[in-house]
Parts: sequence; structure tokens; C-alpha cells
Amino acid sequence: MAPRRKASPEPAKAAPVRQSTRKRTLAEKVAANSNQTDDKPAAQPSPAKRPRGRPTAASKQLQNENAAQKNKSIYDVPSDDDAVGGGGSNKDNKAETVADEVGVATTPKRKVKTQTSPVKASAGKGAITTPSRASRFTNGETPQWRRNDRSARKKSARALIERVVAGDASDEDEQEDLAHEIYDSSQDEEEEEELDEGAQGVQQIDESEGVATTPSKKPRGRQKKELYFAQNRPGASKTSSNTLASLELLTHEEYFSILHQSKEHHAGDIEYLQSWHTESFAQWSFELSEGFSICLYGYGSKRSLLHKFAKFLYDEAPDHETSKIVIINGYVRSTSIREMLGTIAGAVEPSHKLPAGNPSVMLDSLKALLSSHDVQITVVINSIDAIPLRRAGTQTILAQLASHPQIQLICSADTPDFPLLWDSGVRSAFDFVFHDCTTFAPFTVEIDVVDDVHELLGRKARRVGGKEGVTYVLRSLPENAKSLFRLLVGEVLLAIDEEGITGGENPGVEYRILYNKAVEEFICSSEMAFRTLLKEFHDHQMITSRKDVLGTELLSLPFRREELEAILEDLMS
Amino acid sequence: MADTETIGEVLGDQEHRAAYVFDPAAEAPASTRPAKRRRLSKKHHVQSQKPKEKHAHQFQPLLNGLESNACLQLRQEAFLKSWSAVQDRIDGVLRETNQSTLEAVTAFVKECTVEITPSRIPSALIITGANMASQSLLFQQLSDSLQTRAEAKVVSMRSGDASNLKAALRKIILDVVANSSDSGGEQDLSLDNDGKRYLNYDLEALHSHLIRHPLPHVIVAFQDSEAFETGLLTDLILLFSSWLDRIPFKLLFGVATSVDLFQARLLKSTCQLLRGRQFDVEQADTIVEKIFKTAVAHVDAPLRIGPASLQMILSRQRDQAAGIPVFVSSLKYAYMCHFYTNPFSVLLADNADQVALQAEHLEVVRSMSSFRDHVETSLQDKALGHVRSLLENDNYLACQVREQLKLSRSWIRHSLRTLKLLMCHPGHDSKFTQLYVDLLSQGVGGEDQLSEFVSSTKRMDPVEMMSLLNQMVAVIKDGDSQAGLEGCEGDSDPSVTLLAEVVAGIQTLCREAEDAGSTLRSEYSGQHKIMRTTVIAQKVQLSQDAATLTQQDKAYTKLVDKTIEHLQVILKCARAEDVWLHEAWLYDFKTPHREVFLPRPRAVVQRALQRPHDYLACSCCDSSKDQIMPTLPATAILHHLYLETGSLINVADLWTAFYGIVGEDEVDGLDERTALVLFYRAISEMRVLGFVKPSRKKVDHIAKLAWL
Repeated sequence: MAPRRKASPEPAKAAPVRQSTRKRTLAEKVAANSNQTDDKPAAQPSPAKRPRGRPTAASKQLQNENAAQKNKSIYDVPSDDDAVGGGGSNKDNKAETVADEVGVATTPKRKVKTQTSPVKASAGKGAITTPSRASRFTNGETPQWRRNDRSARKKSARALIERVVAGDASDEDEQEDLAHEIYDSSQDEEEEEELDEGAQGVQQIDESEGVATTPSKKPRGRQKKELYFAQNRPGASKTSSNTLASLELLTHEEYFSILHQSKEHHAGDIEYLQSWHTESFAQWSFELSEGFSICLYGYGSKRSLLHKFAKFLYDEAPDHETSKIVIINGYVRSTSIREMLGTIAGAVEPSHKLPAGNPSVMLDSLKALLSSHDVQITVVINSIDAIPLRRAGTQTILAQLASHPQIQLICSADTPDFPLLWDSGVRSAFDFVFHDCTTFAPFTVEIDVVDDVHELLGRKARRVGGKEGVTYVLRSLPENAKSLFRLLVGEVLLAIDEEGITGGENPGVEYRILYNKAVEEFICSSEMAFRTLLKEFHDHQMITSRKDVLGTELLSLPFRREELEAILEDLMS
Repeated sequence: MADTETIGEVLGDQEHRAAYVFDPAAEAPASTRPAKRRRLSKKHHVQSQKPKEKHAHQFQPLLNGLESNACLQLRQEAFLKSWSAVQDRIDGVLRETNQSTLEAVTAFVKECTVEITPSRIPSALIITGANMASQSLLFQQLSDSLQTRAEAKVVSMRSGDASNLKAALRKIILDVVANSSDSGGEQDLSLDNDGKRYLNYDLEALHSHLIRHPLPHVIVAFQDSEAFETGLLTDLILLFSSWLDRIPFKLLFGVATSVDLFQARLLKSTCQLLRGRQFDVEQADTIVEKIFKTAVAHVDAPLRIGPASLQMILSRQRDQAAGIPVFVSSLKYAYMCHFYTNPFSVLLADNADQVALQAEHLEVVRSMSSFRDHVETSLQDKALGHVRSLLENDNYLACQVREQLKLSRSWIRHSLRTLKLLMCHPGHDSKFTQLYVDLLSQGVGGEDQLSEFVSSTKRMDPVEMMSLLNQMVAVIKDGDSQAGLEGCEGDSDPSVTLLAEVVAGIQTLCREAEDAGSTLRSEYSGQHKIMRTTVIAQKVQLSQDAATLTQQDKAYTKLVDKTIEHLQVILKCARAEDVWLHEAWLYDFKTPHREVFLPRPRAVVQRALQRPHDYLACSCCDSSKDQIMPTLPATAILHHLYLETGSLINVADLWTAFYGIVGEDEVDGLDERTALVLFYRAISEMRVLGFVKPSRKKVDHIAKLAWL
């Protein structure tokens, strides 16, 4: 990360000493861990070490058998007279035996969905027609390891079922893991085959556990790529049908008021982490001056860090006329490449206006402008991987900008996948050096938390921002618009009283009915006028409209009941 | 976002602005500031002296901050000087490498006038290879050289620039016009002399512009022709050919694959509109090899980049097809690291002699591992006085350090010469880069290392042997200009005389042997054993007989022995790390490079979320037990839970689980609303990090996006 931080040729005592011992431990840890994680592509949680419960007889047996199975599999050569098992591939054999096993252990009736390989087919047939497997091993000598393998699996399946039936799921320990492992290894291999009901039952319970109704505190030790396939198998994902209906969702007001009251108990540590990054400022400015661009990545908001760095650069600059700093906030939704280029041009020459047009043309004229001025511009981009900047064209322009000798660029990236933004051409134009700047600082302005969450949950259109927003919009609308809105609020409240809130959304009012009422109250005289009024609301996302099953248009309001009541009160007064 | 302000969040306006000029001092409106003056005239000389100003106080004092200002200054100057020298050499190489292509293309463009090919557009197909990053450099050079030498206007197009025909034409027209007339290109464009208006994608506009400003060539360069849509290319070519009688179009295509594939993409009728010629560009790895010689292995390069770093940089070139600029950046960063962090880099400055080494420097020297090795070897050699002085006498040590640095230069020369000698041998199959890395890491001269060399040299026949020796003599005499290795003057080097003698000897022996009607061979050459096949009782018997050696053969064998012996003596080179004080001029670290150039952001984010303790170092959530602690940051808790979920996540259940962890049931638990606030924040962060997205499958469900 930082040359200074790494082992430098000078001995340890000559390295910049960090006074506090805690500092040192952090530095060491970061270093040590970066080494440690270097080789593993994904830092996976190491399997939990829990105090092992007293091993039961069954588990002991199970372990023994497992061990036996391992031993045997090394030394015994399986007989090769299976259908396809010419190579005697261990996996195939396992899959086969397990398939049989499950069939026998629970229900004799099982379906073979696809007969992809002769092995599977024969296994299926074997299970259906002859329960005894003697016919398949023609010379009658079943290899012992296979028997062991099978019985281990049988036992593990049984153990799993028993445990689940006994409702003992919360207390998992190593035994169960082992059982899972044995059982899972077979499951993954027979994906094409429909599991019979018994096994599926087990699986179902297994999966729904994962959905954290009972928060089991330990991830399964499965391979990650396998996990993906296991979880994306059709029907694999079973979640409970609980909803957040009973939970009162947060409003902006509540969110911020609580946020201000509560205090972050890691504030000190975060502060320290930040100060630790600030020690690299001198190095960063050196790197920038040598023509590299800098990209800061890692978890946490890096906005304040970058702001501090901008301050640092500002203080260092000998002449503020010739070295300017432009800050770009990528997370702001309205950020556009034109605005960025325009601002930079403005920094070069405040009176200059870039001709609007194609960004690449703007860039060219910006370059021309730069070359006629003696300025050094440092461009600081917060969240270069934010959605507004993600378009390939934008990144290309930024890269070309960064490769200009009079431009220095430092940016932060929040997502873990940001390198995908750049192809090799763009990346070499940027000429990035990357620094891990994990700050753990909360994203405050970058994310509009409440809206984001509601959007995530499919409850959009809270954009006006509650009561104040509505009042604000209505203030600028004519009197009959206010009346119409009052009418609508009243109707929706009535409907809520009658029907209750379903699925997190307010019940709707039929378009026709509302129109008739509006005409009755002399709010509008024609449907045209009615529509115009509604459109105004719609533009401000103060109403929602949807069609029900019959195609009737329903109008509703995206506010909570309390808010609606408050709005109504406001309008009446 | 308006809400945040209504609630009284004290946020500056700046956070919500897309872009602004950072100016903490002047919060006052811009009008109060003095108007900015344009300094057009000063531009050139100001820029040239700028670097010095800028670097005024950038380096940080090392040695616990005790480094003197003079040393610091010197270190900084040394960096600037040494890197700029290296950079110049690299630039030279880059200029040269594309030179032949540039000339060929320019000549092609010049010779293809409309008269020769009335109906076909002259097109240069430039085979660039897969390396995208170096393409842009090539096209930059191409357009420069064409504009200066062929008076052509070059419009460079990348696939990203033009998505449709209109945009492409607009860009071409704008670029040509902007290129040729400096002032007010746009007004020019839409209005003809007679006041006719043109659409901005009408080639007629270009035509009328060209009537006023005649141009011999209008060149359109498609940098990444493969990435262009076939339809777009076809349309453009058709249009160009129909305007060819009025506008002198020429095309350049950058082809990453092959001409055949390029042709296969286009319609036959389109292809017939082109008159193409193929130009090959030097491939990236040969350029890397060249740069390596001039920048890394060069005698004058003050800094040796160590084998581990080099290996990493080179393998990155190979594995990731990283471009030349990336290679150069890596080298530059190595220089930066060395001079920025190593107090001894001050010794690499040209006028290092005048700098007084500080006591701290010397103290550090004494704790270097290479110093220890040196002391130990000296002790074995019974140089007790030397060792004592080294340990106790600062002045003596300082002198020795300087002495040693001079020696290191000769080590570098010697190592390079050894390398070149080894490369004379026809049997070596690895590249210069690889040999160099091996030499740095292992040295030369070990028994097993040279055994291959020795045995194959022994087996050589006289002709091969002579050519080898001649080459070696040439190398010693001439050196290597690319690597800056100068040769030895005359016959001053004993090896030269000796090897020349041997060559002369072999020549006479050869002649003698020829006269005697036999071929010269040595005891070691394969043919001196004769295989005999005898068939006895239907069984084949093989037997070997040593062929008798003639007088000349024996003499030759002696010569070979002598040569080998000498070569074994001269082909010796210590590992870089065995040289005393290599710390001052050898940079061999993997870590900053790997992290700085090949970040693994996913692992970093994941680690932050899985083990926040690694970063926060707080007392409360030591997660060594890999349990979910309620004190963890909310996002970390959610991430832990997230890892256990399936592909669809029920937010209600997630919330329940979350609340179960941080909620009131726990010690110091949070009340529901506060927990909900944290939950909101965490889940929105998860979304920003790209872990979840909305799902329509079920109410209050979100979809998992990352299987980590």
C-alpha cells in the first residue's frame, strides 16, 4: 500500500515509529493480514471452532466409519465391472451408492428425471426394480469401502433427519457439520435427479434455517462456487413468507433524528483509522505529482478523507492561482460529464465557457484551454464508481482527462467490483495506483438511506419527502389542486380504515369515483382539467397509480397513515 | 435530499453539488477575488521549471525524522535525475520501435493519390496485436507523423466515440474542421460561403470546407476496428467511397487479429471498395525486452530492481497482457519507492561524495544484513582490524561505504558482461529478461548452473566453438550499446587475448586435420565413440569403442579444456544480494507493487466486513472466534447474516435476525427504532456495495448478488 509502510531496506528501528502500541498492532495486523489473504482469492471465514460437545456414540461411530472409508478408498481398488465405471471414478460410485441409499432409506419409489449417464440410469433402475444390489456386482464381492461409504451416508442422513425432527437445529456442532458434509457431498453430485420427498424435507428445513429466522451464527463450510449453484437451483430458495407489514417503516425525519441521538461506539476507532490514512498524504501527493492517478478503495465512506486530502494539497500549494482543486461528487444523481468538464474549465479560466456539445469535443477544447494556461488542476472524484459515472463513455473521458499532464486525479471507489469499469486501455490511461483506504466511516451524503431501502423493498415514490414536501409542492399549486389533493387524501384515509394496509401499500381509490367526486365539489369541470391536476401530482410523485386485475385505474398516495392525517390537517386549516 | 436539510443536518451545500472548485480560503464570492490574468507568454518557461518548484518539500525525512535536510534534498534530486534519464532512454526506444511502421504508413499515404486508385479507398491495415493499451500510443504517433510529414488531417476514431453513423460522421467532420482552422470552426461549418446551411453530419459541409482549405489527405483512423459494428463500418466505407472523387479519404485500420478475419467481417462488395496494404507492428513483448535492456539492465541505471520485483512485473506483462505504459509505470514506481523510503538512496546521487553521512545512516549500515555477512566473511579472512574499524570508527565505515558503492558499479558491469557471454552460447533458450532475473537472484558460477553450459560447450565441434569464441571476444570488446555496456579497449582484457589465441589455435589445427584428411574433434565430441552392431545368433549386440584420437584431436582437446577452464573463471558472478551494501541500490520488494497495481478490492471489502477488528482494532469486537458480536458495525453483522442466506432474502427475517443480535435482549441492546435505523443504513450500504438488489419475486424480498 504505502511504500513507507512496507518493509523497507532499513531495519525496523529506522522505520517511522508509530508511538502508540495500538497503532503498531494495527499496522502489523494490516500488513500481516494482507500477506495472509494474498494467496487465497477469497478470504473465507475459517470454520468455526466451537467447544465440542460430548461425542455421542452415533457420532463416534460415524467418525470411525468415515475414517475407515478414507483409509479403504486409498488402498482398495474398486472392482470395475460397473456399467460405465471403467475408470472406477470415485465420484460416480459415490453418487450412485448414495442415490440408492436415499431411495432405500426413506421411500422406495423414486423418479429419475433425466437419464444423462448410463451410470445414473442403471442406478435408478437398480433402485426401482431390484432392491438388492447383488445383481449389479455380478461376482458378488461388494468392495468393503463402498459398503462403508454407503453406511456412513445412511447414518449421516439419518442423523440429520433425527436432529431436525427433534428440533435440535440451533445446537449444531461438529458432528452435525460432519453429517452435513457427508450428506451434502452426495447432494451436489446428483443435481439432475429429483430428490425424493424425505430428502427434500430435510433440505427444505436446512435451507430455511439459512434464511435466518433462527439466526444460526455460522456459515456452512461449503465451497463457494458450489454454494452459488446450490442456491440457484430451481426451487432451492425457500424463504418464509413473513413480511415487514407489522413493522412501521422509518421516515426521513425519524431516521435522522434517531441517527443524531445515537452515537457510534466505534467513533474513536474510525477516527483513528482515518488519521492513520492521513499519514500517507505526503506520499499520495508525491505520487500525484509523478503523474500517477490514485484510486482509494475499501469499505467505508472516503469522502471526508478526500476532503482532508484536498485541504492538505491546498495548504501545500505555493500558489493558488496555478494549482487548483476541483471536487467532483460522483454520487450526486445529477452529476454529468458535461458539468464536470465545465467546472474544470471554470477553474482554469472563470470567464471561459466551454462550448456545450459532445463530451469528447468538450474535452478537446478543455485540453486546448489547459495548454494555454499555466495551471495544475487536481481533480478529486468522490465515488468514481457511483451510478451516474458508470457509463463507459464517461470513464473514457475521465481517463483521457487524467492522462493530461496538467491534470492530477485522485478518486475513491466504494464498490468491491470497481475494476470492471475499465478495460486495459482506459486503465493504462488512468495510470492508477491503488491504496486500501478502509475507513468504516458511514456513508452520509452518498446514500439516501431511507429512499434507497424503500426502493429496495419495492416501496418507491417517497421522493417528495413526507408532509413538508407535499405542503411545499401544494403551496405553489392553484387552489383547486389543493382541494383535489385534500379530497384524495380523505378518500385514501377512508379506504385505509375500511380495507387496512395490504402489502405495504395504501389501498387505491378508483379513478372514476374520484373524478365524479371532484366534479361534484366543483374542483374541476372536465376530465381534461382533472387529468392536468393529477399530472402535476404525478410529476412530483405525490400520487401513485396502478391497475387492478380488472384494469380499473386506482389512485393512491405513497404516504403512511400518520403522514396522511397530518397532511389532511394541514390542508383543512 | 432536500429532506436532510429540513431536518437541520448541518451539511454544506458542497456535498450535493456535482462538481465545484475547492477553495477553503475564499468562501467569499468569486467577484471579490482579483481577476485572473492570463499568462500566455510565460507558459513555456514556467512549465519547464515547474517540476523543481513542485518537488520543493515533498519527500519526508527518514531515519525517524532525523535525516538532514541536505540528504533529503539530495535524495529527491537523485530521484528526479535518475528517473528522467531512464525515462528518456525509454522514450527513445518507444520512438524507434514504431519508426519503421510510421515511415511505411506515411509513404503509403503519400504514394496513394486519387489518380492511382480512382474508385478504391487507400487503406492501411495495421496489425497491432492484442495489446489495446499500446495501440493508442501508436495511433498518436501515427497521426503526429502523418500530420507533419504528409500534411494530412487525421481523425482518430475509437469504437466508443461513435455509436452510429451520424455520430461518426459528425465527429469526422468536426475533427477535420477543428484541426484545420483554429478559429471558430463551428460557425464555419454550418454556413457555406453562399449562406447555405448544412446539417452537421453532412459530408457536403466537409467538402465545402475543403474547397476553402484544400487538404491533400483526409485520414480516418479506426483504432480498434474489431470493436466497431460491422454495419457502421460498411456504411462509412460506402459513404467515403462515394465522396472519394471530392474528398481525398484514406483509411487506417488497427487490426488486433488478422487481415483475414477483418476481411471476413465485411461484405465482399465493401471490401472491393478498399485498396489495402498490411503493416506489421512490433509486438509488445519485443518492445518490453528492449525497454528492459535500456531501462532495467542498463549500466547507468542507478537502481537495480531485484529479481522478485522483476519477476512480478514481467509476469504481469505476460499474464495480463498489460501494455507498455503499465510496464514503464511499474518501473517508475519502483524508483519512487526506493528513493522515497530508503535513506541510502542518497548515495546514488551524482555528487554523493560531498554529502556527509549522518551518524544515523552509519548506525543503520551496521544493522544491515549484508553488513553482517560482510563482517562474517571478513572475520573468516582474519581481517580483524578491518572489522573492528568498521564497527567502531564512523569515518572508516563512511569511507568503506563509498568505496563499496564504486565496487557495486563494477559488479553491475561484470554481471552484464557475464550475461552477454552466456547469451553467446547457442544453447541458451531463454530471453534476456529471464536470464537477467536468474542472474540477479542466483548469480552465476555455481557448479550445477554452469554444468549444462560446460558440457554442451565441450561437445561443440570446432566450427561452433570458433564462432562461440569469436562472439565472446566481440562481446568483451564491443560491449552492448543498448544496455550501455562499453567494451574493453584493445586487448587490455586478458580474456580477449586468451580466447583469440585459442581461436587461432583451433584454426591451425583445423587446417592440419584437413590436410591429414580427417575432421578435427575432441575427446568430448559425440563421434569419438563408435557404436558397433553385431548380429550373433540372431541377436543384436551393441558395443562401444573409443575411436582413436589423432594428434590434432588431442591438441584440440587441450585447447577446449583450457577454454572451459578460463570460462569457468570469468563466468562468475555473485548474487545481487550477496554484494555488501546492496540495500542502497537494490530494490526488491513485492508488496507495495502488488497492492498498488493489482488491488484485490473484493477481498479487502470482504475482510473489512468479516473481521472489522483487523481494521478497527477495537476492544469490543475481537472476532477471532468468528462469532457475530452485537458490537460489530451494523453492515458487518448484516454481511455475516447475508453469507448464510439463499439467493432470495426475506428482509423481514433478516431484520428479525438482526434485531435478535443487537436488540434489547442482549446486554446494552438497542431499542427497536435505533436498531432499525442501523438496519436501514446497513442494508442501503449492502446495496451500494452491490451485494443485493430489489426482487419482485416476493413481497419484502431482495435478491442476493454476490457469492463471495
